Amino acid sequence: MKGTLAVARYTLIELTRRRILLVFFIIGFLGIAAIGIGLRVFSSAFSTGVTFGPPGTVQDPAQVNRFLELMFIQNLIGALGFFALLIAFAIGMTAIYHDLDSGAAVAIFSKPVSRLAFTTGKVAAAVVAMIAIVGVLSIEATLFGFLFGGGLEQTLTVETVAQLANALTLMLLVLALSTWMNNIVAAVVAFIYNAVSGVVVLLHNEMAAGFLGDNGVLKVGLNVLYWLVPHQLISDAQRQLARAEFDLFSSGNQGGPGGSSGPTLDQALAGVPGPSGAADIIWWGFVIAIFASLVYIAVRRRQV
Amino acid sequence: MAAVVSVEALRKRYRRRDPYAVDGVTFELQPGQAFGLLGPNGSGKTSVVKMIAGLLRPDEGKISLFGSEPGNPAARAQLGFSPEDPDFPKFLRASEVLDYFASLLGLNAEERKRRIPETLAFAGLDKEKRQVRQYSKGMKQRLGIAQAILGRPKLLILDEPTADLDPLGRRDVRALIESLKRSGVAILLNSHLLSEVELVCDTVAILAKGRVLKEGTMAEVVPEGRTLEEVFVELVEASTPAAPRDHLPSFIKDKDNP
Repeated sequence: MKGTLAVARYTLIELTRRRILLVFFIIGFLGIAAIGIGLRVFSSAFSTGVTFGPPGTVQDPAQVNRFLELMFIQNLIGALGFFALLIAFAIGMTAIYHDLDSGAAVAIFSKPVSRLAFTTGKVAAAVVAMIAIVGVLSIEATLFGFLFGGGLEQTLTVETVAQLANALTLMLLVLALSTWMNNIVAAVVAFIYNAVSGVVVLLHNEMAAGFLGDNGVLKVGLNVLYWLVPHQLISDAQRQLARAEFDLFSSGNQGGPGGSSGPTLDQALAGVPGPSGAADIIWWGFVIAIFASLVYIAVRRRQV
Repeated sequence: MAAVVSVEALRKRYRRRDPYAVDGVTFELQPGQAFGLLGPNGSGKTSVVKMIAGLLRPDEGKISLFGSEPGNPAARAQLGFSPEDPDFPKFLRASEVLDYFASLLGLNAEERKRRIPETLAFAGLDKEKRQVRQYSKGMKQRLGIAQAILGRPKLLILDEPTADLDPLGRRDVRALIESLKRSGVAILLNSHLLSEVELVCDTVAILAKGRVLKEGTMAEVVPEGRTLEEVFVELVEASTPAAPRDHLPSFIKDKDNP
């Protein structure tokens, strides 16, 4: 236990001193601030002219704020996901690889620390660093959300948790691969895995929404693929945003999408992927356990 | 007296198509004994000590470290290992590296507080505030020796400990070895500096191509009137048939060619 804590503690100290993580964090922090401030400045400058209805309609400022908040959250979800992945790569590529590559592992492994304790400490530090960085970015985003009146904090929190869960899977994969191979090659392999996994989830969602027709073979094939390839978790943020947007337009513009001539709520939500269910979360837990075991096996087998 | 470490018919190769890097090495090390492992580059010295430290797995043979497997953390708690070309987590400072390793050794806060400053002072790194990535090779070597002695080991393995040290550093390492020997610590020394080995070691083994060419006390290996270097060169050259004696590049030897 002491060995694990020592490895975790000093890995965290090292991670905080790595410039690449600091750079990603600063870019993420400034990026979120830029989205929030940019939208706020835009709304202040042009709020009188903003309208969702026919020309000449006077828009309620509260609705404009709500609309801007939705835009902010939508942009933010993309930005958070992107930075979570960048940080997952940055931590995964360095946390164990640099000790092995530099020869530091020779001195470390000659001490009375088991490979299990070393791996546990490294993974724990990587997870804590990941949660801390994405958590701070998420708190920043929540605070900026209040510029527009707030109200979607829970949506953002749940989405952050989903993004973190997906980034953790990828980080563990990079950690495991970088113990076997060069860390850049490991990152490329993990990137390809992430892209394939993303395409599989997308196709599966399209199929679930009925956009891919009613082909039985395709359905079975995509279902098998979906449960074979470790897939990303999805929060209900997109649905909540779509619902909020629908409510906004239907209340603010009778002739708009919510009006008698527009689509119903069910129709508006049909194309938006639903949140992951219990089976998806269990499958994610299983994948995390497998990837963490892979990291351990790789470290254990490694001769330095 | 129980051997600190015993190595029996050790064999190791890195790839199946490669020849054995270590081929049937056998020796024993007693408490208070200083054992010199000598050999030319690529003779398998570092592979042997890494197997003893549990960093490499032998293909064949047995290693007993304090009566158990080298993989056993309890056995490694009594071992201090200063690797060749040592390196450490790059973004830590010397004091942090020692605190990290002291934690791995299970030293309590009080012991850490006492030992770390003294060890840093011994290594000449007590005033050093930079991170390891900014260290010279010599400074890393000093830190390598410092972390190896931090746990007061009963076996100290030094792999080329003075290769990057200045004469003062070499003198300190010699004094350290002498002092540890007197207190009953066994020393396993890998070194190319034969004069140094001659000064501090009681027994030596000369390796070439993974095999032990000669082993024994210094008096047994080095006959009266000869030096260790002469014996070493003779044995190693004899083990390498048709080794060219004069193999300087022609452009170096050619006086007419500018």
